[in-house]
Amino acid sequence: MRTLLWAEYQKIRRLSFVWIAIFATVMVAVIVFLSGLTDNDGIRDIDTAGWYMAVAQPLGTFFVLPAVIALLGSYMICREEQENTIESLRLIPVNEAKLTLAKMIITLIYSILFYLLLFAITFFTEAALHFSDLSIGVVLNFLRAYFLDGLCIFLAISPIIAWVSYMKKGYWIALVITEFYSFIGLFASTSNTLKALYPITAVFTISGYYEASTSQVILSCISLMFCVGLSAVILASMKKYK
Amino acid sequence: MALLKLIQIEFFKLRRRKFLWMMMFSALIMPFLSYLLFKYAWSTGGDPVQFYKWSAFGLTLFIVLPVVLGILSSMLMYNENQYDMLKQIWIVPVSKMRYFFSKFFVVLIYSICFMIVTALGSVIFSILLDDLALDWHNTLFLIRKCLEIGIITAFAMLPILAIATTQNGYILPVSITLVYAFLGSIIVSINMYIHPLSSMALIVARNGDIPGLNDTQVISIPLAFFSIFVWGIGSVLLANVALARRK
Repeated sequence: MRTLLWAEYQKIRRLSFVWIAIFATVMVAVIVFLSGLTDNDGIRDIDTAGWYMAVAQPLGTFFVLPAVIALLGSYMICREEQENTIESLRLIPVNEAKLTLAKMIITLIYSILFYLLLFAITFFTEAALHFSDLSIGVVLNFLRAYFLDGLCIFLAISPIIAWVSYMKKGYWIALVITEFYSFIGLFASTSNTLKALYPITAVFTISGYYEASTSQVILSCISLMFCVGLSAVILASMKKYK
Repeated sequence: MALLKLIQIEFFKLRRRKFLWMMMFSALIMPFLSYLLFKYAWSTGGDPVQFYKWSAFGLTLFIVLPVVLGILSSMLMYNENQYDMLKQIWIVPVSKMRYFFSKFFVVLIYSICFMIVTALGSVIFSILLDDLALDWHNTLFLIRKCLEIGIITAFAMLPILAIATTQNGYILPVSITLVYAFLGSIIVSINMYIHPLSSMALIVARNGDIPGLNDTQVISIPLAFFSIFVWGIGSVLLANVALARRK
């Protein structure tokens, strides 16, 4: 497994996609900053301490980041098939389920890194604008929230990545499904029970963005565990399939 | 005539792609979600325009349609690049601009069809809601607005099509599409004339007949058209340069 992870790390270093994903993350931060410049009776949103760090997580998640992360994951998996390197890998032989698992672990790490990058941008902007209003406790809270966002978003979209790698039809499907999957989160957030149950919004219940009762947090954990279980089932059936 | 032939060829190529038909289903997402919201959470107060605002004029206009068209644009350009077909196409010879516009017309026709499906979906789901007073006047209003959205959005997506011509892969155009659509919906509250998508929204809601859109800013329709025009011209020039380099 360690060798597979090392090999994946070596491959991804040469991939321009990582830069494109970083570009998307930076652009999310820029766009949310722009939206903060709107004047509401003489007060701009961006002038409120903590606003930027709080709002960047849901907006980035509902519209851009999960789709980009799913695209990265499914691209890494599908490119072996597309570029015919899977034939050589089968000759070694490599266990395909393990290979997919290694790719998913790398996607998980990148998912956390993208969210931490978003945190870094929002934090430094907040610090530049109103340093004195920020307390260490608040910043650490946001850091924890962003870390959990990155981790849990990967768990929420893992069935899609696993399914796409199982189908081996194309990565477009992963992108489109994930985009709408995260987008529907906007609607799920209108109801308290649905908010805790729907995997994309469950992420925010766990990360602490939504104020939630213990039962809601447990419901969200169950929802994400269900996603993990589903992707595990798909990966396991892939092993049988080969 | 040559352009018509190219458009016909583009459609022949697309016939084999089932994914396009699958993407068409996303036209029904917002009507369905609006139906659920109005059935279980809110009330329309008997006003169909409130329902249509959610099903066809809201997130469909800002996010769903632009994202779908961006993916379509990337797919259209990626096909020829993937199989290294451009050399053969230039040998025929096909004019580079005709090639670009044939792709654009596919996007335009797809966009119109997408909005017609959205309109039909909105009508069907609104019938399922009991408390709506439906009449021909409102249905025609919906269809007219949907056609407007379909046509203008295709023009507003020209920059993405141009970016797709400069790239061999699909990942950058698709990522830019997501950011582009997101920026379009956010920038509405700041300045509607900077971004083609927000200018498009302004043109669609020009008479103030869509509740919640453009209530705050003074509307200048020529400026909105000018914004889309400038972005369109810039995109065509970019595509021209990019295609001239692909030999």
